[in-house]
Amino acid sequence: MNYKKILVAVDASENARRAAEYVGEIVGESPGFEITLLYVVRHAERDLFPDDKSWENRKKQEKEKAKYVLSELKTLLHTYGLSEDTVSTRLIEISNFSIAQAVMDYQKSGGFGTIVVGRRGMSKAEEFLFGSISNKIVHYAKNCAVWVIE
Amino acid sequence: MSKEVQELVKRLRPGLSLGEYGKVYDDTSEFMKISYGDVIRLEGQHYLVIRDEAERSFGIEDPKYWVKRCIHLESGERKILKLVFYEKFSLKLGDIEIPCFRSPRKEARILELVRGDKRFMQGVSCLDSKGNLVRILDVVSGKRLDHFVFEIEKGHKEYFFQDLPAILENFMDSCRAIKFLHDHGEIHGDIRRDHLWREYKSGQYVWIDFDYAYEFEESPFGLDIFGLGSLLIYLAGKQIYTEANLQHIMADKQIELEENDFSLLYKNRIVNLKKLFPYIPRELNLVFMHFSQGAEVFYETVDEFLYDLEPCIELIRKKGGQP
Repeated sequence: MNYKKILVAVDASENARRAAEYVGEIVGESPGFEITLLYVVRHAERDLFPDDKSWENRKKQEKEKAKYVLSELKTLLHTYGLSEDTVSTRLIEISNFSIAQAVMDYQKSGGFGTIVVGRRGMSKAEEFLFGSISNKIVHYAKNCAVWVIE
Repeated sequence: MSKEVQELVKRLRPGLSLGEYGKVYDDTSEFMKISYGDVIRLEGQHYLVIRDEAERSFGIEDPKYWVKRCIHLESGERKILKLVFYEKFSLKLGDIEIPCFRSPRKEARILELVRGDKRFMQGVSCLDSKGNLVRILDVVSGKRLDHFVFEIEKGHKEYFFQDLPAILENFMDSCRAIKFLHDHGEIHGDIRRDHLWREYKSGQYVWIDFDYAYEFEESPFGLDIFGLGSLLIYLAGKQIYTEANLQHIMADKQIELEENDFSLLYKNRIVNLKKLFPYIPRELNLVFMHFSQGAEVFYETVDEFLYDLEPCIELIRKKGGQP
């Protein structure tokens, strides 16, 4: 497993930004690294909207936001000296499915040796009710290192 | 217009007399206008509105104007009509607020999924003349399970050993019903004490009201499982215990409580019931403690919860000296 092949799971949160900054600090201009910024968009369910139009609008907005965040974080990594060739971005859309699982599937299929993920401070009660993406990745990811950035 | 209703009632339910004859509605969009004496016509069937349903909370009646108690004029049966009301609100669980949506689509889909399954309220859905998805529900003839349990006239120990094992058997079946939803990619979404009823005649436990929908989360079943845990703790205790009511109920006992003895969400509720009732088997109390502030491991599936709960019924029976 190539630990220099790094998958950074991001979203629009501050924690994701911190995770990207951390990778930038660690990798910098060092050679041999390959970084992929992955944004998994989990679309809201159709049930939550009165009609198809408002649902489609929301999905479109989510996708646009993800594209913007990916582009912004890529630029951020360049400021740490990572070259254009070193950083790539990927957007995956899912519905009614686990983001953690989507990240782990992508890690497996892409042969990434490291997953980097941000973690937001969650209370126990929130973790019970909503679950934690970073905890799931720490527990279930195989054949790779996991960096959790708080 | 009132004549139309009068004639409908006269023709279909001649024995019925009303204080007021209202209008016939084919379009239910403006549900606030529809009230006592009106008739809702859906796919050629007529539903005479008797009143708006209401929820009682902290002694206050909260009317649900989009839920109408009706008589189906063709059959004379009592029905509940849930009209379309898109609402986004915050569901408050302890200190946590969760954005929640009413979804007629979700409820209609689950009604279809559970057709004929006695563990769920029954009903059908249809569109009114404006395309609103109306749900036509059978009335559950019964009582809230928590009220039924609370009113059993026994002390806790007697109740615990004599009644609880059978109640838990039924409750486990209700949990399996929730697992059935989860296995089909659905959630109940609002598992509370007032949403599990016990039918008068059959004693069957019935889940009601599943129109709440949420943004999908990493643990999609967490909310339902927490609801099941809270219900279990209520059933085992025969009521809720807080520091405040404990002073009245067990004034003669000295019980030392710490933070970890209380519910993870409802910070004033005691879940470590073994401190109150030492005869509760340790194994059952451990299930309760998964819902406490001291919990380190949470149930992620109903199966995990049932796996721990099932053997406890036998333990209670053994401790109580039943075969």
